[in-house]
Amino acid sequence: MRIPPKITQAFAVSLLGFATLLTVVVLLFIIVFVLGKGLPGVTWEFLATNPKDMGKAGGILPTLVGTVLLPVMAIAIALPLGVGTSVYLTEYTRETRLTRALRFGTDCLAGIPSIIFGLFGFIFFVVMLKMGWCLLSGALTLAIMVLPTIIRTSEEAIRAVPNAYREVSFALGATRWETVLKVVLPNALPGIVTGVVLGIGRSIGETAAVIFTAGSALRMPMTAFDSVRTMSVHFYILAREGISNQNAYATAAVLIISVLLINLLSYSMMHRFIAKRSR
Amino acid sequence: MSAPENVKISVQRFSVYHNREDALRDITLEIPSNRILGIIGPAGSGKTTFLRALNRLNDLVPDMHAEGKMLLDGQDIYHPSFDVVALRKRVGMLFALPVALPMSIYENVVYGPRLSGIRQRARLDEIVERSLQAAFLWDEVKDRLQMSGLRLSGGQQQRLCLARVLAMEELEVILLDEPCSGLDPISTAKIEEALTVLKNKYTIVLVTNNTKQAARVADDTAFFLMGNLIETGLTEKIFTVPDDKRTNEYVTGRFG
Repeated sequence: MRIPPKITQAFAVSLLGFATLLTVVVLLFIIVFVLGKGLPGVTWEFLATNPKDMGKAGGILPTLVGTVLLPVMAIAIALPLGVGTSVYLTEYTRETRLTRALRFGTDCLAGIPSIIFGLFGFIFFVVMLKMGWCLLSGALTLAIMVLPTIIRTSEEAIRAVPNAYREVSFALGATRWETVLKVVLPNALPGIVTGVVLGIGRSIGETAAVIFTAGSALRMPMTAFDSVRTMSVHFYILAREGISNQNAYATAAVLIISVLLINLLSYSMMHRFIAKRSR
Repeated sequence: MSAPENVKISVQRFSVYHNREDALRDITLEIPSNRILGIIGPAGSGKTTFLRALNRLNDLVPDMHAEGKMLLDGQDIYHPSFDVVALRKRVGMLFALPVALPMSIYENVVYGPRLSGIRQRARLDEIVERSLQAAFLWDEVKDRLQMSGLRLSGGQQQRLCLARVLAMEELEVILLDEPCSGLDPISTAKIEEALTVLKNKYTIVLVTNNTKQAARVADDTAFFLMGNLIETGLTEKIFTVPDDKRTNEYVTGRFG
């Protein structure tokens, strides 16, 4: 006997709806749980003072600074390299076995666990280059880690720019470089920003790779060669060593809110840019 | 109508190959200056390939290469030392589909001049007004030059594209690839009107699927078929007493 389409339809809709609901509920539960436990501990003083007693008391100011500086430096390194690579792959080379191999390579890199990057950063930057645990070692390691994401999203974005735009630009006497600068990149920008946001998201929450390369000093970093502790490393240590669960939750709450703010900020910047161009 | 005096572009035994197949076979043709040359022929006849060879836009197509000579004012544009970027500023092109770049009307028009290094605001303003007027678009957009070009209608966008080509100060030749194929009759009339004025200053090559359009605006007409140039001559002659039987069949609508 065949099941009437009305019933299969209702079944499919409720199944899909349930899957969506479950995802949202789990996500909300985590956020509400962490914020609920952490927010009471987040005060102005907590944000703006140095930690005391290994983080048992006092605030998280240096880790806040570290959490901002490390991803910013990583993106500053990875963005020109990543966008440059994707422009080269899409605009300056034809599809050959080599470009396919490069693309396969970046895809593989994107799937490697972060601890491997951490180990590499530790051996290469910290030990071999004698840079020690510092902001720069961490930023370089994170840059390598987010590079595949930035390359792939930029490449998709650049490929999505209509070819007609390029032809118009060439026909008006533009060189390839002028076409890339004036037509290709501006139109690929929303996609590139998505890659950057993903990259920031990945590096801001990164713990394993950071603890190996940037260290976990609780001082305020003064130069790129100072060791630094990020918020995620901080609450990992606080929780693992049993120093202060209350402060671990509070730090996690600050981290969640920062990530949300960064996403909101980047997307509103992007929308403003798009709106400006299509007015 | 007098016979052509000055030759602007001289095409000599010119062929184009794409993946070893010939897209254009041994074309020899002279394009006189300050006249409109209409190029007609059925789909796949090579007329667009020929047009895109005139500003070397075919260079962008992988596995395509050309043989023979194309002389612009006596200089071979396919000579290795010829500057392609400079060529495309002298030989502008209007595409079949209107493609306004996603920027303001103003920025669309000054795209070429900016590439040529013109920076002064007053000079750019003057170029925008002159070009939009020549393309019969100025009156419709003069109060909203900062609006995105994408918000114009199809017909307006195509005239914006024409203005963008006319804005190039180095411009000598205008190539048009079925510029009215997607346009309403009024926009088409405006483009055609613009062309008849523009030929006083420029040399115009118009590829069209619409034989009536060629009969209306072209001074000379060339008929392409399967990569060959079948015949070329004054438009009246091609449309009334062509030498070749196939030309006659095409212009009277019996095939193609």
